[in-house]
Amino acid sequence: MGFLDALPLTVMDWLRGLLGQGLPAWGVELVVGLIKVVLILVVAILPVIVLTWLERKVLARGQDRFGPNLAGPYGLVVAFADAIKILTKEDIIPQAADRQVFRFAPALVLIPTLLVFTVVPMGRGMIAADLNVGILFAVAIGSLAVIAIIAATWSSGNKYSLLSMFRSVAQLVSYELPMAFSVLTVVLVSGGLSTVRIVEAQVIPFALVMPIAAVTYFLASLAEANRSPFDLLLGESEIVAGHNLEYSGMRFAMFYIGEYAHIFVIGALTTTLFLGGYQGPILPGYMWFLIKTMAVVYVVLWIRCTWPRMRIDQLLDFSWKLLVPLNLANLMLVALVFKLAGTGLLGSLLSLVVNVGLLVAVGTFLVRRARSSTSRRTRALVLGEV
Amino acid sequence: MLGRGMLKGLWVTLQHTISSFTSGPRRFPKRYLDGPVPRPEPSTQGMLTLQYPFEKYEMWPRFRGVLVHLRDPETGQSRCTACMACVRACPHGVLTVTGEGKGRERRAKTYTYELGRCIFCRLCVESCRFDAIEMGQEYEFVSTTQDQTLNLEEMLALGDRSGIKHTGEAWGQVE
Repeated sequence: MGFLDALPLTVMDWLRGLLGQGLPAWGVELVVGLIKVVLILVVAILPVIVLTWLERKVLARGQDRFGPNLAGPYGLVVAFADAIKILTKEDIIPQAADRQVFRFAPALVLIPTLLVFTVVPMGRGMIAADLNVGILFAVAIGSLAVIAIIAATWSSGNKYSLLSMFRSVAQLVSYELPMAFSVLTVVLVSGGLSTVRIVEAQVIPFALVMPIAAVTYFLASLAEANRSPFDLLLGESEIVAGHNLEYSGMRFAMFYIGEYAHIFVIGALTTTLFLGGYQGPILPGYMWFLIKTMAVVYVVLWIRCTWPRMRIDQLLDFSWKLLVPLNLANLMLVALVFKLAGTGLLGSLLSLVVNVGLLVAVGTFLVRRARSSTSRRTRALVLGEV
Repeated sequence: MLGRGMLKGLWVTLQHTISSFTSGPRRFPKRYLDGPVPRPEPSTQGMLTLQYPFEKYEMWPRFRGVLVHLRDPETGQSRCTACMACVRACPHGVLTVTGEGKGRERRAKTYTYELGRCIFCRLCVESCRFDAIEMGQEYEFVSTTQDQTLNLEEMLALGDRSGIKHTGEAWGQVE
């Protein structure tokens, strides 16, 4: 553990020592806890400022445009321009709204996202709370975000918002399952629910050991965060805008911040579970964590810039008919492989082979079924025939 | 297969992301193009967005921009003789001309062109028999008042900037 790697911990220890001079033990823990809370807030909110800019830039570059380039150098302060604009907007509460819930919902959007950061190890020993059920906590809290969406839509008193909520709930229920299966595979191999333990178990990143689980987790968390191509609840063409339809001004901005913070959470959790977290050569751990997270975030934005929105039936088909059985099979096979071959290099290699084999088998099966099928819809979906 | 199509789509957007930095006239360190920008071919790679206030497209030769006066290379003055043909031709009464001198020495003393009411019909240019005025390439003359005008000196300066030598060059009317 190099000097730079341990720098944040050294600073924290020094601070503890300093506070220990004048404060009782519980006082020290209180102050340190508060500092951690502030740090998590910073880690969660700072990427939002960067991401609002990055998303527009990445989308623009993918479409041969410049994107924002007038507000500051390379348009870097566009988030602040947005914030000033949005602060001056009128705050409208519809007459049909349930006022208290309507006011509370935007605050609720951000809470689950912030809570997830408590169990994400951002560097060696840099974790706010190393829960022994860390990843279970993250999965459970992550699905709480839908409560905020239900509260926001139900209290808006708007039919379109309500439709958006139905879609969101159907989506969450469908994608929670494959996500849990892929996490379960990771837990099985690493032998613990603690996020630190999962990271430490990844001598080879799990994305290379079980790519099916990694891709499934990534897609399922896209669905959970309501990102493209699963952003059905934001269908501008059919349901105007979705859950934030009746919101304006700063309340709308809270949904906006929540959405971008959630993208960063996708990156952080995918990094922790499948990309080896803070592990990596030369650079300090927190740098590796940041690099990997931003790489995943880039893929999220890249997908947003490329894929069209899925229809609700395609979305549910994809989850129930493909991801769930595939991950169940994957879970069993991986369990078998690691039981027989051990968790060493041999086991990892065999697991990769099994994963790729499974993917090829499923693909071949789907294509063969579609070829012999007379249903135009199946043929179009699997074979790409028009 | 559906999956193959999706991966292909990702590949296309990645290529565009990279080519927006590495190819085309606005490749990486360059943000704006200097001077009038030629209209891009459809096959041009990289970013094509015209960044308007900083970049402008070249106008086509017969573009009817703001009215300019052409300079007589011998005298360095306008060729206008204040014959009032343009004033009579103008459907909106945009032009006001006063002259001085008699016979062959007659020259325009003032020439006032009201921008706010001009409809850029070019009837004044067609009526001119002295090779004195032409429609230029400039078009950013939004006026905030109804009576914003250009005078003779300003129009001569605009004529110098446009590079036009004779009336009707772009129409093939010059021998």
